[in-house]
Amino acid sequence: MQKVDIQFQLNGKLQQLSIEDDTPLLWVLRDVLNMNGTKFGCGMGLCGACTVHLDGTPVRSCSLPISTIQGRAITTIEGLAPNGDHPLQQAWVAENVPQCGYCQSGQIMSAAALLATNASPSDDDINNAMSGNICRCGTYGRIRKAIKRASGQVNTWEPGTAERDA
Amino acid sequence: MSLSRREFVRNLSVVGGGLTLGFSVANAGNADVEGDFEPNAFLRIAADGTVTVQIHKVEMGQGTVTGLITLIAEELEVAPDSVSYEMASVDKAFRDPEYYLQITGGSNAIRVNYLPLRQVGAAAKSMLLSAASQLSDIPVADLYCENGVVKSRDGQIALPYGQLATTASALSVPRKPALKDAAAFKYIGKQNSRLDNQPKVSGTASFGIDAPNPDALVAVIVRPPVAAGPLISFDGQKAKAMPGIHSVFAIEEGVAVVAENYWRARKAAEAVDIQWQPSDSKLIDSTSIDKALSAALNAGDFAKIRKDGRVPKGEPHQLIEADYSLPFLAHATMEPMNATVDPNSREVWVGSQSPDMAQKFAAIGLGIDADEITVHNQFLGGGFGRRAAPDHVLEAARIARSVGKRVKLVWSREDDTRHDFYRPPMKSRLSARLDEDGNVESWQHHLAGPSLLQSYAGSLSSGMVPGWVPDFLIDFGTGMVAKKDSSSVEGAKELPYQFAHIDVGFKNVETPVRLGYWRSVGHSHTAFVVESFVDELAHAAGIDPLAFRLQNLPGGSRHREVLMEVKKLSDWGNAPAGHFQGVAVHESFHSVVAEVVEISIANGQPKLERAYCAIHCGQVVNPDIVRQQMESGVLFGLSAAMKGEITLKEGAVQQGNFHDYPVLRMNEAPAVDVAIVNSDAPPTGVGEPATPPAPAALGNAIFAATGQRLRNLPFKLA
Repeated sequence: MQKVDIQFQLNGKLQQLSIEDDTPLLWVLRDVLNMNGTKFGCGMGLCGACTVHLDGTPVRSCSLPISTIQGRAITTIEGLAPNGDHPLQQAWVAENVPQCGYCQSGQIMSAAALLATNASPSDDDINNAMSGNICRCGTYGRIRKAIKRASGQVNTWEPGTAERDA
Repeated sequence: MSLSRREFVRNLSVVGGGLTLGFSVANAGNADVEGDFEPNAFLRIAADGTVTVQIHKVEMGQGTVTGLITLIAEELEVAPDSVSYEMASVDKAFRDPEYYLQITGGSNAIRVNYLPLRQVGAAAKSMLLSAASQLSDIPVADLYCENGVVKSRDGQIALPYGQLATTASALSVPRKPALKDAAAFKYIGKQNSRLDNQPKVSGTASFGIDAPNPDALVAVIVRPPVAAGPLISFDGQKAKAMPGIHSVFAIEEGVAVVAENYWRARKAAEAVDIQWQPSDSKLIDSTSIDKALSAALNAGDFAKIRKDGRVPKGEPHQLIEADYSLPFLAHATMEPMNATVDPNSREVWVGSQSPDMAQKFAAIGLGIDADEITVHNQFLGGGFGRRAAPDHVLEAARIARSVGKRVKLVWSREDDTRHDFYRPPMKSRLSARLDEDGNVESWQHHLAGPSLLQSYAGSLSSGMVPGWVPDFLIDFGTGMVAKKDSSSVEGAKELPYQFAHIDVGFKNVETPVRLGYWRSVGHSHTAFVVESFVDELAHAAGIDPLAFRLQNLPGGSRHREVLMEVKKLSDWGNAPAGHFQGVAVHESFHSVVAEVVEISIANGQPKLERAYCAIHCGQVVNPDIVRQQMESGVLFGLSAAMKGEITLKEGAVQQGNFHDYPVLRMNEAPAVDVAIVNSDAPPTGVGEPATPPAPAALGNAIFAATGQRLRNLPFKLA
C-alpha cells in the first residue's frame, strides 16, 4: 500500500492530501477531512447514503478509491448550497421529508444531480435516479413530492454567499 | 392518566441564571416508583429570552423532538420553532415510568409525557405571570402571555420572558397550574413542521457515527460468524504490519483492529485469521428451527393465553384450518451500529434508545462506576428497537480501555446484519368453525416460537458478561413481568372480534439466536396471522372482508371507526381495473390502524400500487408527523412482507448487506394516503402501530388478485 499525493476540487476549493491510494473517498471525507455530512451505510454502493457528485455526476463515495479523483471536482452535501438553502433542501423542509435523516444527504445529492440535467423529471425519471438510495424510514413518497416541488427552481436559484450556521 | 400525588415540578434555578424548572418524569403518572424526588432540568428560560428544553426521549425519526417541545411550548405560550433543545444525558429523572429505564420505545413518548410536559410549561408560565405582576403592580388576572411576552390587557406593559426569568426564579412553583382547554390550543393538533429538518437536509445533524472526535482512533471487530461463538485463537501478524494500524488484539466478541481511520482498520481486518468454537446447539440452522417450531405446534402443550366462551358442540358446518409462519428479521437501520468511548475523560458518544443501559455497559467495559460516565446521546440513524441494545457500547468500551485512548467503534453493514438482535420467528396454527350463516362459533390460535423477553434478558446479561445479572435488568424484568410479558402473543391475545369461543395458547421454543425488539414487536407477527385468517374466514363465509370485520367487531369500537375511514379513503370495492385490494385492522400501542393495500400483478409478481391507512391515536399533537409515521410504518411492514428474511446455516446468519437482505426502494414503494380520526381522547402511540396491519393487507390483496393464500412470509407467489 502506498501513499499518493492527491489534488482535487472539493466544494470549489483545492484540496491536497497524501493518503494510501486505495482509501475510498468516503473515508477521506469523514475520517481525514472531518466532513461528516456524507454517510456510511453499506460500503458496497448499494444504499446511496454516501452519494456525492464527481464532476456533477452522482457517485457512491464508499466505493470510489481516492486515486481515481485526481484533478477532478467533488461536491458534497456541505458544498451543495452555502446556506443549506438549495431549492431541494428548501423543498425537503417544506415537505417534511426527513425522519431519522441519516440517508437524506445522499438522497438530496442524487436528486440534485437529477435536476441539474432534467429540470422537470417524470415519475419514471425520479425512480431511475433515486432507486439506488435506500430510506428505511420510508420517506420515498415525500422525496418524490419534494423533487417535484423543487423542479423548475434549480435553474433560477442563486447560491447565497453568507456562511452557513453550524 | 393521572399525575402523581407527590410534587414533581421543582424550581432548579440558580441565582441570576434565569428560570430553570425540573421534574422527574419517572415520578409522573406512576404511583409505584419509590424513592426520592430527583428532578433534572427540563426547561430553562435564560435572561436573554432563550427557551431551552432537554429532550429525554431520543430522536430516531419518530418526531420526539418536535412533539415534546410542542407540549411545553403550548402551555408556555411560545412558538415551538423558537425553542432550543438538547439531548438529555443519563439521569434517574428521565426514566420511563413504564419501563423503569431511560428507554425510548413502545411508542409511548407522547402518551406518557402529554400531561407532565404541559404541566412544566404551565408552571413556568404561571411563574412568569407572577413575576410580571410583581414588577408592574398589575394583578395577574389582568395579564396574559403571548408568544414569549407577558402583556397587560390594557396594553400598558409588554415584558419579554427573558426580562422576567430571574424574578420568576425566586418564586415557588405552583402545585397545580391550570392547563389550557383543547379549544385554546395553538400548536397541539396544529403544529405541522418538524423542528429537526434543517440540520438533516444540510448534513449537519450529528448522529452517533458523526460524534465530534477528530482525534479518535477507529476500531472494527473481526467476529466469529456464529453469534456468541467464542474465539479460540487468531493470527493478527499480517494485519499489524499493515499501514495505519495501531493495534490488533482479542476481546470477548472477537478481534479488535484499531487504526488511524476506518478504511485502514477494515483492510487490516480482512487479513486477520480467526478460529472459533462452533455452536453445540442443535438449532443452528433455520431449517432445524423451523422444524422445532412445527413440532411444538404438533405437540399441543400450550400455555393458556386466553379462553373465552364455550367450545361449540356437534359437527361444524365449516371447519377452517391453516398454519402460518414468519421468519427472523433484521432491523437494518441505515446507520450501522457504532459508539465512541474515551477511557480518560469517561465520555461516551452514541445514538442509543437506552442511554442508561449504554452507560452501564460502558462502565463494565471500562471497569469503572457508571456514575462516572457521561453519555452524549446523538441523533439515531434509525432505531426500530435495535438501538435499545447497547452491545456495541460495551465493545467500544472494552477496546478503548485496552488502547487507553478515545476510540470510535464502527460496525460494517455485514456486522450489523449478522449480529443483530433479531425479530423472532413464529409459527401459528389456527382453526375456526363457521355456522351456516357465516358466524364464527370458535376461534383457536396456537403459537410456537421463542419468548422474546427471556432471550433478550439472557443476551444482555450473561450472554455478554458471564455470570452477570445487572440490577437494571432486574428492574426491567420486574417492570415487564409486572405487566406479564406478552411480547410473543400480544395482538393475538387481544383479538378484538366478538367470536363465541376464543382459545389462544403459546408454546415457548428456545433458540440460541439473539432476539430483540423489532418495530411493533409481537404485533409484527400476530397481526399478519390474525388478519390473514380473518380474511380466510370472510371468504369462507362468502362475505366481503371489510364488511365481515365490521359485523364481528364491537359497536362503537375504534376498530370500526378506522375501518369506516379506510373504506372511504380507499374507495373500497371500486379499485381500478387490474388493481386488487386487501384490508387489515389492528390495535397496538393503544392506537388502532386500518389499512388497505392495492396491488396489481406484473410479471407474475405483486406490484404495490397504493396503500391507504387510517389511524385512531387520540389527540394528535403534530398531524404531519402522524402522517409521516403512518407512511413509514406501512412501508416498514410491506418491506418485511415482500423481502425480509434472515436465515442461519451452522449458526451463521447467511445475509450480509442490502443485496441479500433487500428492503423496499423508491421504484417499489407505493404512495400512502393517510386519514387521522379526529379525537380529543388522551394521545396514544404512532411510531409503531402502522407496521402490523401492512403484511396482512398485502397478503389479502394477493389473495384477491390471484386466489393464492400465502401464509408464509416473505411472500413468494407460486
